[in-house]
Amino acid sequence: MSHMQSVVLCAVVVCSPASVWAQDATQIVRDAWDHWRGLTSYAEMTMTIHRPTWERTMSMRAWTEGSKKSLVRVTAPAKDRGNGTLMDNNNMWTYSPKVNRVIKVPSSMMGQSWMGSDFSNKDVSRADDVIEEYTHSVLGTEVVDGTTVYEIEAIPREDAAVVWGKEVLKIREDHVLLEQRFYDQDGELVQSMMATDIREMGGRMIAARQRMQKADTPDEWTEMVVGATEYDIEISGNLFTLSNLRNPRD
Amino acid sequence: MNITLRLAWRNLWRQPRRTWLTTGAMVFSNVLLVFMISLQFGMYRMMIDNSLQAFTGHMQVQAAGYKDDHKMRQSVPDAVQLAQSLRREIGLDTIAVRAAGFALASSEERSYGIQVYGVQPDFEPRVSSIPGLVKRGAYLANPVAAEIVIGSVLARNLKVDIGDELTLLGSGLDGSFAAGVVIVTGIFDSGIADLDRNIAEMPLAAFQEMFAMGGDGHEIVIATQDLFDASRIIRQVRDVLPSGGDVVVHDWNALQPGLQQAIQADMAGAWFMYGVLVILVAFSVLNTQLMSVLERTKEFGIILSLGLTPGRIGRLVILETMLMGGLGLIIGVAIGGLLTYWVGIDGFSYPGLEDMAGQFNLSGRIYPQLSVLSAMIGPSIVFVFTLLASIYPALRLHWLHPVEAMRAA
Repeated sequence: MSHMQSVVLCAVVVCSPASVWAQDATQIVRDAWDHWRGLTSYAEMTMTIHRPTWERTMSMRAWTEGSKKSLVRVTAPAKDRGNGTLMDNNNMWTYSPKVNRVIKVPSSMMGQSWMGSDFSNKDVSRADDVIEEYTHSVLGTEVVDGTTVYEIEAIPREDAAVVWGKEVLKIREDHVLLEQRFYDQDGELVQSMMATDIREMGGRMIAARQRMQKADTPDEWTEMVVGATEYDIEISGNLFTLSNLRNPRD
Repeated sequence: MNITLRLAWRNLWRQPRRTWLTTGAMVFSNVLLVFMISLQFGMYRMMIDNSLQAFTGHMQVQAAGYKDDHKMRQSVPDAVQLAQSLRREIGLDTIAVRAAGFALASSEERSYGIQVYGVQPDFEPRVSSIPGLVKRGAYLANPVAAEIVIGSVLARNLKVDIGDELTLLGSGLDGSFAAGVVIVTGIFDSGIADLDRNIAEMPLAAFQEMFAMGGDGHEIVIATQDLFDASRIIRQVRDVLPSGGDVVVHDWNALQPGLQQAIQADMAGAWFMYGVLVILVAFSVLNTQLMSVLERTKEFGIILSLGLTPGRIGRLVILETMLMGGLGLIIGVAIGGLLTYWVGIDGFSYPGLEDMAGQFNLSGRIYPQLSVLSAMIGPSIVFVFTLLASIYPALRLHWLHPVEAMRAA
């Protein structure tokens, strides 16, 4: 989406009645997700899991294609090097060099923590749920440092198989997702994701730092820091396959 | 008093049929109470023993907080040495170390999330009945081998058999990836669905290696002879544990709070039923004694006018009841005790019991547990209520006027 279009969009959002807002709210969320992901993307990240008594940092490389396919491979520490996760259409496989086996993660395990972090397997693999399974409405807008920020409420559809009762998103007009808060069925805040350190990387403005935090344990969090990223890269046809998960050719 | 006693005894047998009928009601309820209470005691004991013997043990030494959070990092350092010094200090060898972790277990075809335990193959059979319940293959023997024993339901779900490989995937103590391939050497069938579906055991050393545990463990399980022993030994364990509060010991009630609650709920229901039974018997006695006093109005009038005090006659009436109650107590406890003892030899079962018992980890047969307490508690309460029931008829005598009474029909 070009800059011109988003200006138009903003104008529409500000001036139009609520019914039009709902549709646009969905578009704002979709744009933010597309912006973060691109058609294809490659990123080098470090993930820090923080607990009151310990902290652990892992480095990884990740590739995505569209909304359905992604591959994550751990590069450090040495002990964990080579472990990988492949996601394709809500299916998830994991590979561990220690056992030299690819294992499909059963759906009953999707709620479990991903690589020991505060992200669940579901968080990682079904990141699109918030677009497809929810209805959206703009709660309000504010202007921060000269840019407009939309606050969007996302409510799951009646038949949606999701764990949250509600999500509230803050999205900047240039499609940067600043904040994502997850509420349970009773409207209690469960966890929140905060994005900071917004700068240009790989030709886009993105948040280099994302922190996921449970609401009831403030000193337990997981932070993802993007070190380098590239968008709309060439991706070979066999990147998102089980054989590549097992025998990396990248 | 002697003459009162003789009079009371004779009075009872002036109406033998009535006396026997009332005594019969008491005997019946006493037999029922002895049997039911013994049965209940037996059942509770089995519930506790079977549940605890299966896996939990009578007490466990854990890191503080582990009981509630079950986080891998909440571990007991140098658990094997600590267990060894516990064995030495307490003089008990039914002590075993376990380490536990959540893992994704995969066979060729399927994957399931399970709880994997690292156990000491030498000591585990002394604290848990699972090693003895291995139905196919054999229990762990080699203390370091990458072998695993799994429950029958899990084996069926994973479609694995003895000799097949399982891949385990989880998180180690340091947060690293824990992964390994283990060979299924045994399949146990405890009859407890939860254990058969979710639990796997592998040698402690192999577990510690796979999950980066070093020398740590999560629970030191201690089994004792019985519950009474447990409360004594838990104090000894506390003395041996290092001070500082990082490592604590929990008794069975803290480890399995549901057990005590189930017993209490069952007990509340049972006591209500017993209460109804006792009150019915008491009213039947009240009825009998009231009738027997009323029909003797003329007789009592004559005795009163001869100079006997109403109190003395009241005592006579109470003594009559006491004799009758005593008779009911002795015969009831004798028959009830014999019946309970006889049933207790082979245990007993009734249709549907097996299903119900399965929920509480019981076998399909119940063995009533006869003891002085279980035999006497019900009948004693019946006896007391019987005496209470005779107070009203005895008190009535105080309002008796000798002249009017003598003219009564």
